[in-house]
Amino acid sequence: MTLTAERLDDHSGDVATPPKPAKNNEGSPRSGWLSQHLGTAIVGFIIGYVVGHWLGNYIGSSYAYIANSGTNAIADTLGLTLGVLGWFAGIGALNYPLAKIVGKKPPQDFKEVQDWSKYFRYTTDHKVVGKQYVVGVLLFLFTGGLLAMAIRTELLSPVTHVFGPGTYITIVSEHGTIMMMMATSVIIGPLGNYFVPLMIGSRRMAFPQIEAFSFWCFTAGYLVIFSALIYGGFPTGWTGYAPLQTQAGAGMVSYLLGFAVIGLGMMSAGFNLAATIINYRAPGMTWSRVPIFVWAILATSALLTLATPTLFAAGLFGLLDKTAQTAFYVTEHGGSSYLWENLFWFFGHPEVYIMALPGFGLVAEIMPVFCRKPLFAYKVAAAGMVGVALLSFFVWQHHLFQSGINPDMRPLFMLTTELISIPTGFIYLVGMGTLYKAKIRFEIPMLFALALFFNFLIGGVTGVFLSDVPVDVTVHGGFFVLSHFHYTIMGGLLFAFMAGLYYWMPKMTGKMLNKRIGKWHFWTMFIFFNLTFFPMFIIGLLGQPRRVFEYAHNLQGLNDFSSISAFLLGGSFLIFVWNLLWSLWISPEKAPPNPWESLGLEWQTATPIPLHNFERIPVILTDPYHYSEEGAPDVADFGDQQLVGSSSAAAGDITNSN
Amino acid sequence: MTMNQGSDDKEPRHLRRILAIWLPLAAVVDVLFWFLVGPHVPPGDLTSTASSNQFDFNILFVIALPVMIGVWVFLGYSIRNWSAKRVGSAEPKGGAAARGNLRAQVWWIGLTTVIVLFLAGFGTVELVIGNGSGGGEGPNPAWAPTGANAAELASATWSPTDNHVLPVQVIGQQWQFTYRYPTFGGFESSQLILPAGTEIEFNVTSLDVIHSFWAYQLSVKADANPGVNNIAYTKTTKTGNFTVRCSELCGIWHGAMYNYGKVVSKSAFESWATSTETANASNTANLAPYASTYTPDANGAAGGYYEDGTVTPYSTVEVYGAKQPAS
Amino acid sequence: MSETVKKNSLPSDTPEEREFELRAAVGSIWSGGRLFIGMYTFLFASLAFSYFYLRSSNNGLLWRPHHVTAPTSFGWAIYALTLALALLAIFGQIRLRKGGVADWQVAGWTGVACGLLAIFLQIWELQKLAFYPGSSGYASTFVGWVVINIMTLIGVTYWLETTLARSLRMRKEIGGSSPELSTHPSAQLFRANVSSMTYFCGFTALAATLFFSMFYLM
Repeated sequence: MTLTAERLDDHSGDVATPPKPAKNNEGSPRSGWLSQHLGTAIVGFIIGYVVGHWLGNYIGSSYAYIANSGTNAIADTLGLTLGVLGWFAGIGALNYPLAKIVGKKPPQDFKEVQDWSKYFRYTTDHKVVGKQYVVGVLLFLFTGGLLAMAIRTELLSPVTHVFGPGTYITIVSEHGTIMMMMATSVIIGPLGNYFVPLMIGSRRMAFPQIEAFSFWCFTAGYLVIFSALIYGGFPTGWTGYAPLQTQAGAGMVSYLLGFAVIGLGMMSAGFNLAATIINYRAPGMTWSRVPIFVWAILATSALLTLATPTLFAAGLFGLLDKTAQTAFYVTEHGGSSYLWENLFWFFGHPEVYIMALPGFGLVAEIMPVFCRKPLFAYKVAAAGMVGVALLSFFVWQHHLFQSGINPDMRPLFMLTTELISIPTGFIYLVGMGTLYKAKIRFEIPMLFALALFFNFLIGGVTGVFLSDVPVDVTVHGGFFVLSHFHYTIMGGLLFAFMAGLYYWMPKMTGKMLNKRIGKWHFWTMFIFFNLTFFPMFIIGLLGQPRRVFEYAHNLQGLNDFSSISAFLLGGSFLIFVWNLLWSLWISPEKAPPNPWESLGLEWQTATPIPLHNFERIPVILTDPYHYSEEGAPDVADFGDQQLVGSSSAAAGDITNSN
Repeated sequence: MTMNQGSDDKEPRHLRRILAIWLPLAAVVDVLFWFLVGPHVPPGDLTSTASSNQFDFNILFVIALPVMIGVWVFLGYSIRNWSAKRVGSAEPKGGAAARGNLRAQVWWIGLTTVIVLFLAGFGTVELVIGNGSGGGEGPNPAWAPTGANAAELASATWSPTDNHVLPVQVIGQQWQFTYRYPTFGGFESSQLILPAGTEIEFNVTSLDVIHSFWAYQLSVKADANPGVNNIAYTKTTKTGNFTVRCSELCGIWHGAMYNYGKVVSKSAFESWATSTETANASNTANLAPYASTYTPDANGAAGGYYEDGTVTPYSTVEVYGAKQPAS
Repeated sequence: MSETVKKNSLPSDTPEEREFELRAAVGSIWSGGRLFIGMYTFLFASLAFSYFYLRSSNNGLLWRPHHVTAPTSFGWAIYALTLALALLAIFGQIRLRKGGVADWQVAGWTGVACGLLAIFLQIWELQKLAFYPGSSGYASTFVGWVVINIMTLIGVTYWLETTLARSLRMRKEIGGSSPELSTHPSAQLFRANVSSMTYFCGFTALAATLFFSMFYLM
């Protein structure tokens, strides 16, 4: 627990003292190769792993059943655990927590090295962390995406085994796990960390050390889950059901520990963001003026902070089963395989909304900008987010409708699951109300936002099918549910992430993403996403279970169609990468300060954003949705700072459209 | 549900137009779906649960399709009519009126609530009268057909004329399903043969990891858990073939874990069962006596726990059927 | 892009802004402390759920054969030390509010000693168990509790120790005979941290009571 509050310690108690002049290099850490950066983190990981592995073997050698088995889960667990610890030590995450033991005062904000190498360091600047997260989630996304291509390659034929069943199931499991880990952070990590302080008018995060810790947990999680491939993979899918979990080999340790490490990161990210939103809103930013994206991030943070400890505990118990030979999930020894199912899904269902809510918030945030209209039903939207967050704790058993647990609970969980579609549906009320009689500018972010409404409708409605117990008998565990959650997570969350990237990239980098390539990216992604996953509903209805490498011959046509679309969908991500390369490095185009004529507070700081975001703490005068309103008040009073673009945006100037 | 602000402006009444597009479209799609697609919607009509689950599917579809079409029509109408190009120099109205419309909000929330509550109620009714709708109800089913309790008894019998519930045990293991027929001496078969017109009680269990017994055309799905007897009911209505697949990831050969079954006439079933009982008698004698669950070996699926037999912490009480370890 | 950022620029720093950021920081420590309790509640709840789930399913009648119990003497000792740590922290904070800095220091360091001893005993207890970890549901959840309890005790002791160390060093930094009472921002943040820490200590004592009764008394 590192509750820190940095910059304040600089001030003397005397309020009359003018700000101290800046002194170069005072107290700033060493730069150069000897300081702490990604390289030292990797070295730390390796050293930790070697030491841990040796220790584990030393401990294990005194147990006959380990010495004779050829595998040693204790060595694997200790190796990876100490590896992660070494990673933290190497990157410098432990510097302050250790200095605290001797009572050192917190390090100042932004005292890190400020050259290009800051992106490879442990940093307290939320803007740097946000950019680090962009790279981090893309790394997860592309790894998972390549594995998805591999899955679709195997499924081109109903029988031929391109990979062999063991490799195939490893690919499936890694794909699911990596993608789930990515999806927990894909919006909240890059865009939440980057823009929440800007949107609430704050100059800092509440706990920048913890924020940085969350990112380096995320990357450590990548190393751990990736190590499963080296250990020979794990056969359980991302759900990790016991007893298959107990039966599985060393790769399972990577899965359990990976989720525990990612879980630590999720908890820290949510913890910091929730504390920031609650406490660092600028003066005048009442709860009814908070941008809707921030509401979504707040609800998500609450879920991250409260639901993830259950995942952590479940993973810990699994690791204990593997190492200390406890029997949490071993039915024959007094445990229960249902225990894992319950713990996992008690986390797992809030997790689903951890993935959905930021997407909703983001889309609701950008709709008004491109509709030139205020957000429709703001309060309903905010209430919907909170409602979804609360209800999401009471629906988990719908994952267990056929598992053989107490059937009396089924009507109750069917009811709660269907009830949650009410607050989820609010996003449609908000979106449709905002579109009504609007003046829509079809910029790339808006296209992605509209696509979310199209895709999520399919994903959401099929969710109602799944919640119906009789119908679930057919669709549970099949391609129908697979398609359902790809429609919600990929069709919803990833499309929202793309909308957010195209929308905010000008602010983050000062460069516009190319619109022409962007249109290619959007249309290929939208079309091939639907062509990939819509057939899977039919495949599922026709009886194909998930995670199989053999299927009925009459389904080959549909599967091949889906596979080829999937390859083309992969191609659309290449267009996206090309757009990033083109617009950021090859042929950068300087972005105007407020290219979308948004009223949002985040657009009203200078670009590039100063280290402290706002020269003065702004005083918020109203919410940022006064589009097309005569005589609308300015969003905030910045003291002596120039307002950028807000007055013209309020008048509905369309010079920048098309 | 009109969001039009005052009728004195010359704006067309958009919501009426949208309604005018949506209503006939939704009606036509629903009717076409119900009559053309509906009868072919899975899982078919081989059993009572299949028929009723197909009916559920269709009810959900005819409710979902208009909802989806409504949203899409609205989206399409907005994109077509309110693009910046088409709107031209006119400005949208901002201000309080555009920030919310109480009637629209109340209607939206009211309608979605009514739909959702109806669906939950409908699903519950179908679940209860469908005796669990073919889903696994665990060892103590809450909804069971009459006569199901008798099937539990060791003395249970079945013949083509007595209308008894036929208990069938499904045993999942890596990576195949086998079936035991306790009313016919507990013989074991790798083929699932069922009599038509009979109430069936599936007792689903596993010897190692979690599998899921999914008889697609029967509309039965029940997880096979080691040490648990997961019970599911259905009533076959006619003869036909069906597929059984494992629908819970159970290890590397999960994808190859399937077989096929048949629903045959009652008399054909009886002759198959009695002849197989006789033919398999010597095998059956070597099997563990029929029990609701089995513990396959001393260490279960976990493997490696307490290789030293003296500390193997097995229960002294016979709850696992016959295959108790000697210790 | 970084080269265009004004390096080492300090933002405006009016008294109002300073006051605002101080309040925000104090508020963050307050809400952070409560969020931390929320997180831990769900962690403990997962353990409690496992305990009662395995107890009620009693698979293979192996929930708790022969009513095996972990060494109660260890249990009592660890529980008493946890309780003592919490009470000392609470007592210390009460004295601190009244200016009893020495009392807070003495109570606090005693609390740290209690915490360290509890961690030591909790680890030692693993050597003295009369059952294998996988021999029953009770044994499994007990081992789970030991691990979680070690994590919790380390966390609590660390948090208490860092506030004590901070208060010692802070005296040098801001001067004055009783910096713990000063209006200096450092002191205000420090007191917020002590308050959150004390709440958390109290919370762990409650949790320890619950789990002590579950594992040793029930």
